[in-house]
Amino acid sequence: MTSEEIIEKIKSELAGDILSAETPLGDAVVHLEPSALPKACEFIKNDPELDFDYLTNISGVDYLDMDREPRFEAVYEFHSIDKNHSLRLRVGIEEESPSVPTISHLWKSAGFPERELFDMFGIDVAGHPDLRRLIMPDDWEGHPLRRDYSLTTEDIAFSFNRDYKSELVKKKPQTR
Amino acid sequence: MSVTENGLLERDKDTMTLNMGPSHPSTHGVFRAVLEMDGELVGTAKPDIGYLHTGIEKTSEAKRYAHVIPMTDRLDYLNPPGNNLAFCLSTEKLLGIEIPERSQYLRIIHCELARIASHLVWLATHALDIGAMTVFLYCWREREEILDLNEEISGVRMMTSYIRVGGVAQDATDEWLRGVRKFVDHFSSKIDEYEKLLTKNPIWLDRTQGVGVMDRESAINYGMSGPALRASDVDFDFRKKRPYSGYEKFEFDVPTRSEGDVYARYLVRVEEMRESRKILEQALRNLPGGDYRNPNSKVTLPDRDKLKSSMEVLIHHFKLASEGFTVPKGETYVPIEGPRGEVGFYIVSDGSAVPYRVKLRAPSFMAIPGMCKMMEGSFIADVVAVIGSIDIVMGEVDR
Repeated sequence: MTSEEIIEKIKSELAGDILSAETPLGDAVVHLEPSALPKACEFIKNDPELDFDYLTNISGVDYLDMDREPRFEAVYEFHSIDKNHSLRLRVGIEEESPSVPTISHLWKSAGFPERELFDMFGIDVAGHPDLRRLIMPDDWEGHPLRRDYSLTTEDIAFSFNRDYKSELVKKKPQTR
Repeated sequence: MSVTENGLLERDKDTMTLNMGPSHPSTHGVFRAVLEMDGELVGTAKPDIGYLHTGIEKTSEAKRYAHVIPMTDRLDYLNPPGNNLAFCLSTEKLLGIEIPERSQYLRIIHCELARIASHLVWLATHALDIGAMTVFLYCWREREEILDLNEEISGVRMMTSYIRVGGVAQDATDEWLRGVRKFVDHFSSKIDEYEKLLTKNPIWLDRTQGVGVMDRESAINYGMSGPALRASDVDFDFRKKRPYSGYEKFEFDVPTRSEGDVYARYLVRVEEMRESRKILEQALRNLPGGDYRNPNSKVTLPDRDKLKSSMEVLIHHFKLASEGFTVPKGETYVPIEGPRGEVGFYIVSDGSAVPYRVKLRAPSFMAIPGMCKMMEGSFIADVVAVIGSIDIVMGEVDR
């Protein structure tokens, strides 16, 4: 199926659950509310025409600097192995106690990237069987890929003039 | 026996918890698996990653597009051209620029050489893990030739950064192409040598056949990709299914096997080296003339000779070197077929010269849960064979 056909199909079947569906740059992209995610995923996986049996990637995005509402977004990429087409689901997540339902019961491949979503963005993945930090150490503070997590500053572990150096680091201009 | 939080030994039940890695020679980097052992058998295997986290995705958000390319080399350090290409394809899709044919061919030559080099490292270390020392030395010998070719064209042996947004870094000389031709001509007999050592070797068969089996449905559900997927009877290769960078002009087969065990993955990868050689042969035969990069001076650096005579060229050069190029607002994801499977960059652009978000879809990262699933129920000695057969690279797992 072409991207347009996929979008048409999803628009007609999931009309009440999606916010928008379009094909920017030729990719099939669907916007959803977090609450509609499990239902939509179940549909695209089990529908014989869509047949999205392969979850390939989950990315988090923090739109803090782009002034977009809601602040976070989880982006899911799907392929169909037999039908050879792809789909992107974008789920907007509120800044206040960010949470998104898990889809790891449908695709086992979702387990790791969902943990990464929690680790890097602090987005709670509701229903995930083993939601722990994945890449950062368990006792790490903060979520590194958030836009307000600074790239330049890092606590100095050992220093005789620690306070002075911290001040310097704070004064250092952003790299961008 | 007592238990610690990250403990080595635990003996409450009839099982023992065993820590494999992170600095174990057979885990191919700093991968740690916590194995629940029932005698010699693995009950459960829990992966632990993050030891090689470098924050490349975060750093990319503060670098211009051209400056991200050298960092992508360091993600999957056995396949730098593939990562460069994946990043460039996504960026070029956002920019909406065309790539000249010669440039596409040079990209393909470079990527296929990297695929062979990567598979040689895999075969060398995988065989070494299982105990075949000679293969290691043979493979390193041929890999050295590819690294020399890399050095000749890009100045660097491994982290080439040769593929750039809009084309490649510089044109290939006739001498370099002769070097590639020489490698292509004699490489076929070298693959025969490796196969003579392994394919019918009874010890190799004992160690690999029926080990780490994964069926078709689980392979898809666990998100395995590349050779690990194709060894489980899934005929899926982006070079064939969604040709990028001109792969549609090449004739090659996609090897698949139905057994889904370590031996099948071995056969698929060896066969892939032969197919890569075929692609290289065709690319050398049909390499067209023309520009080696898009002449759009807003994106690619202008010719050095023209700098002294043309004011516009000088301005373009200055603007590109000092500010970089801006990429229109948008987001995209373009998958390609790397040696380990699907590689792709999800890039979000806010319209500036710096990417807003860069996310790598790393095949090794996605393969780790499936790999640990394969270990379960096998002997501890087979864990080494399974890890080797998936061919993980920790640089792209931890990013």
